[in-house]
Amino acid sequence: MKSKAVTTLICSVIFASNVAAQTTSNDPYENFNRQMYDFNNSVDTYVAAPLSNGYKFIAPQFVQTGVFNFFTNLKSFNVVLNDVLQAKFSQSAADFGRLTLNSTAGLGGFFDVAKHVGLEQNDEDFDQTLAVWGIPQGSYLVLPFSGPSTVRGVPASAFDAAANPASYASIPAYYISAPVQFMSGLNARANAEGALKFINEAAMDKYVFTRESFLQWRKNLENDGKISASLDDDFMAEEKSSNLKWRDDYQQFQIAAQSFGSVAQKFDLAAQNYEQANSKIAQLKPLKVKR
Amino acid sequence: MRLKKLAVVVFSLSSLFATSVFSQEESATARQIIDKFQTDLITVMKDGKKLGYTGRYEKLDVAVSNSHDLPKIARIVVGKEWEKLTEEQQKKLTDLFSRLSIASYAHNFKEFDGEAFAIDSEEETKLGGVVIHSHLDLPDDKPVKFDYMLKEKGASWRIINIIANGVSDLALKRSEYTAILQRDGFDALIAKINEKIDLYAKQ
Repeated sequence: MKSKAVTTLICSVIFASNVAAQTTSNDPYENFNRQMYDFNNSVDTYVAAPLSNGYKFIAPQFVQTGVFNFFTNLKSFNVVLNDVLQAKFSQSAADFGRLTLNSTAGLGGFFDVAKHVGLEQNDEDFDQTLAVWGIPQGSYLVLPFSGPSTVRGVPASAFDAAANPASYASIPAYYISAPVQFMSGLNARANAEGALKFINEAAMDKYVFTRESFLQWRKNLENDGKISASLDDDFMAEEKSSNLKWRDDYQQFQIAAQSFGSVAQKFDLAAQNYEQANSKIAQLKPLKVKR
Repeated sequence: MRLKKLAVVVFSLSSLFATSVFSQEESATARQIIDKFQTDLITVMKDGKKLGYTGRYEKLDVAVSNSHDLPKIARIVVGKEWEKLTEEQQKKLTDLFSRLSIASYAHNFKEFDGEAFAIDSEEETKLGGVVIHSHLDLPDDKPVKFDYMLKEKGASWRIINIIANGVSDLALKRSEYTAILQRDGFDALIAKINEKIDLYAKQ
């Protein structure tokens, strides 16, 4: 039942992404998005910013840092899960170690002790996992209250929220988890202050600036920070002809297919390793009995 | 969390345009250009408060002009719209774009808190460019990756694009400038650029 639901989810994302890909821009819903962007700005100005300022006034810096660490640590569950889904097995081991260390020695994640032993925080989520599986990003979307996303990012965020322990923070669920989530939001807004100030100063068109920064940042996460030098040469050429565009789409399709195949091969390899390990253990058992 | 990361990236982008007095070294390699540029930028940051905005602008004017191909960048950021501009408009855009680039450096790199640049590696692109991979170490945060794309100009090299933590400054500007040009026209774009230059000078 669950696998059917996941398949349906993935198919719907692919369909939606393909529909979006038929348009020339990555932002075919710009009119709607701009309205949502303005709406979010108003919410931020009149609600989020005053609350965030109050929070910063009340909470000392070490509390803000502690709260940030706490939620980052809870998110580590998602990171480990998505490491595995992307077949990054060695990274998943490091992230699991980080989660364990911060949850214990770090007093439930309030202190980031793992950083001091060289275990840096990796950034993985289900949107990146879908990208590794070859599902296109789809169009840019601005959602009310939550801000920039994409057609692929919306269901991915729902998956991440469902997998995040913060969503189930309490047994008497609502009365504890709601304030916890509220505090998480306040903390996130307080941390975003510098970015918002920079956008206000630097952007010629704040909507376009935010969109491009967001899409490029997501693309960079998908690529694990690797950039392709050849991509930059595209700037030296003017608009590509439609033939070249089709060639690019075909190449992207091939890359996606190879990427998906590569992940499948890694899973297959891991399964073989487990199988070999099992057979070795089985061979050792009779020896123990003899002793 | 996402916005915080975006903040680091966006902050990094501001590092883009700065430094370097290289006029006497016409045959500098791409790596030397970047090394000099980053060294000069740190020097200006260290003296930032003493220099003031005007002092930083004057020092960075030379440094940026000798490390960046600002006329080419100005042409690329408006894309196909460049051909539709008159010669006078092209000249005006190039001049103002250069001033804005230097002003944004002078505004954003005004103090020093122990930051340090380091070059990691370099690679050639298919069309004869060079990408210098480097990073900026921050005292209380993760390092920021800086990838500089350079093209040969005469006997030397010049920066065409800077990619900070995966966000391309050229792509960002190109989207903004073409959007404003197509929607509001040339005069509106010029007004916006002037507005930003004034804003940087005041703060």
